[in-house]
Amino acid sequence: MTNTIVVIGGSAAGMGAAGAAKQVDPDARVIVYTELQDVAYSPCGIPYVHGREIDSFDRLILQGKDYYEAQGYEIHYETTVSAVDPAAHTIQVPGEGAVHYDRLIICTGFQYERPDVPGGDLEGLYYVRDIRAAQRWDEVLDTVKRAVVAEAQPIGVEMATALAHRGIETHLVDPHPWAMAEIADPDIMAPVEESWRELGVHIHLNTRIKAFRGTERVRAVETSDGEIPVDMVVVGAKKLPNNQLAAEAGIKLGSTGGIIVDQHMRTSAADVFAAGDCVEVPQGTTRVPVQGLSGSHAYAQGKIAGSGAAGTLRSYSPVYVPWSLVGGKWMVGGVSFGETLAGALGIPFVLGVAEGISRARYYPGFKKIRVKLLAEPGTLKLIGAQLVGGEGVKERCDFLAMAARHGLTLHDIAWMENVYSPAIGALNEPMALAAQNGLATAGRS
Amino acid sequence: MTALFRWVRTNSEKYLLEAQQAELAQRYLGRPPPVGPRTPQVLFWKYLFVPLYRRLPWKVKHLVILAMPGSHRRDWSS
Repeated sequence: MTNTIVVIGGSAAGMGAAGAAKQVDPDARVIVYTELQDVAYSPCGIPYVHGREIDSFDRLILQGKDYYEAQGYEIHYETTVSAVDPAAHTIQVPGEGAVHYDRLIICTGFQYERPDVPGGDLEGLYYVRDIRAAQRWDEVLDTVKRAVVAEAQPIGVEMATALAHRGIETHLVDPHPWAMAEIADPDIMAPVEESWRELGVHIHLNTRIKAFRGTERVRAVETSDGEIPVDMVVVGAKKLPNNQLAAEAGIKLGSTGGIIVDQHMRTSAADVFAAGDCVEVPQGTTRVPVQGLSGSHAYAQGKIAGSGAAGTLRSYSPVYVPWSLVGGKWMVGGVSFGETLAGALGIPFVLGVAEGISRARYYPGFKKIRVKLLAEPGTLKLIGAQLVGGEGVKERCDFLAMAARHGLTLHDIAWMENVYSPAIGALNEPMALAAQNGLATAGRS
Repeated sequence: MTALFRWVRTNSEKYLLEAQQAELAQRYLGRPPPVGPRTPQVLFWKYLFVPLYRRLPWKVKHLVILAMPGSHRRDWSS
């Protein structure tokens, strides 16, 4: 009998799930519902098209609609699922009625936290998410002289950089003392801030937005530090799990608001899986559930969920969350905990910090890299890291996440082997220098 | 209960982060703490919860955090 697998959501997790389901069971009927006009594109690339580093939105599209049709997927575009009934194994789709599933995969993603201030419903407030909307906004950007980026969360950081590249007078407004203050440490973001100033970004930190002003369209942003006239606002707010559908179906949610899942991405309801920004998964060191990770996490979780829904259970592992992005002229990144998050939670740590360079000191174009390593006192096992540099940040974050996953200590990293080749790597690896300094701080060198 | 746990986590995370941000902003940047509205709720979290939480050893805090419902309490053994 044909296994009918319904996927709600057509982004990274949803399409990862659909693909894995077909791979495991080519005869399965895989139906995808998405509220959007497209699937299989990279929303993470949108800021770089706005910033003109990428010349066209077409480059963000991975596969066209014909491809999925030819592969046998049934994709229902611009279609909202209004309810899930886990007991009856059905979903409700306006216009289609009750649709039966054998296995359901919920990949409903995230929604932005809406600013709780007057004027939040004015026109001219841009939430970066959907490629079609981004294309429309890109035309608007041609007419914009002055913009505010409201909040310096990761998307705000990328958009502030993009608008500055575009030559728009950009004002970044955030209530914290430094950008991305919930994720990154102040010393890591300091070079980014300096480079924003070089790019002409006006930075308003420790500044709260009190209202968006205008009649129909936003014309000014009222802040705790005065009013900024604007042509548009990019809302770079926090991402929240989009879980109303799951909650109404009685599927259990955790303290993060994400759907509770096990290692196979199974929810509390029989035959219902979930993946991506709508779920929470345990962090590797502490087992504390975390939510709202990267597109690569969503895609991998989708693959696990799709495989399980098609009949082959695979396991996802607790996460160590390597992340990295471009802010101004710098790459910043990290793994699990920085000083800010570890300090806030009260996790004890030993800190090792060093500055090094990305290539041999005599090779043209070498860039500075600052590395901070956090290790558990006693065992000196790596529990987190933060980096800022001109190049080579992403690769080091990937390596350090794997190091933390496998319990490597500051001793291991301090005396690690590393590539030395003038054009691509320095004699002294900055991560090793940071670990050596950490050992000295701990009195264990 | 889910709503209660979410409320506790959202608020505790926010105010613990703000307290840590205030210290690091002063230490690294010489800047003031994050800005926000002053409401009775803020006073509770900032002046009662945060100091109390900070006095507990990590092991105790960790046990309390792990006692909350979530994905970590499902099977992740393999």
